[in-house]
Amino acid sequence: MFSELTVRTENLKENAVVFVSGEIDIYTSQQFKEKLYNAVDNSSGDLTIDCSGLNYIDSMGLGIFVGALKKMRTNNRNIHIANIKDNIKKLFVITGLDKLFIIH
Amino acid sequence: MDMYDKIVLQLPYKAEYVSVARLTTSGVAYRMGFDIDTVEDIKVAVSEVCNRIINVSGNSAGGYEIRYEIGDSRMVITFASDMDRAGCIFEDDEEGLGMSIINAFMDEVEYCPDNKDFILSMTKRIEEKS
Repeated sequence: MFSELTVRTENLKENAVVFVSGEIDIYTSQQFKEKLYNAVDNSSGDLTIDCSGLNYIDSMGLGIFVGALKKMRTNNRNIHIANIKDNIKKLFVITGLDKLFIIH
Repeated sequence: MDMYDKIVLQLPYKAEYVSVARLTTSGVAYRMGFDIDTVEDIKVAVSEVCNRIINVSGNSAGGYEIRYEIGDSRMVITFASDMDRAGCIFEDDEEGLGMSIINAFMDEVEYCPDNKDFILSMTKRIEEKS
């Protein structure tokens, strides 16, 4: 009944890919933040967040994306968002965040 | 315009139950005939309000209430809280992502009315098919 979230990271040389499945909401956001920030800290190149399994996100999760991007930008690194569902992409567009991230 | 049915959900100030609010919202919205994309929009808007209420509550004891009123062509969702808190719960979040999303997804939103019976009310109309 409660939100479920799975976060898995693969490091490919200097670039990391973070696979997110489930829901990022107020209940799971801290878990997501810890794992995403860990991936940022333990890689040196661009970061890709694969959202093929992501079914729900709101401003709690979007704020974490932005926080991670700020960390990345201190070293001129970018965040790529891959395989995003239409309902999730809509949120990025409405909030203008689609202009900050590289969305594939 | 008459509102025919009312569904009321009472929740504690706990993050783990916001998903219950989303489930209830989708059930009510589907029952009314909203399409899948609109149901998803309404779910996010409801979650945004719940998030704000919980963050402001500081996980205190007690809880809040979500009231769904169903009419022929619209759904009105109203939030009430037993928090003894002065001021609007959104007063320091004017530029926040949450309000942007709520305003984008709902047709009408009333924030923090003078009437203390509720803290936020939002409306979504069913689009007439041409």
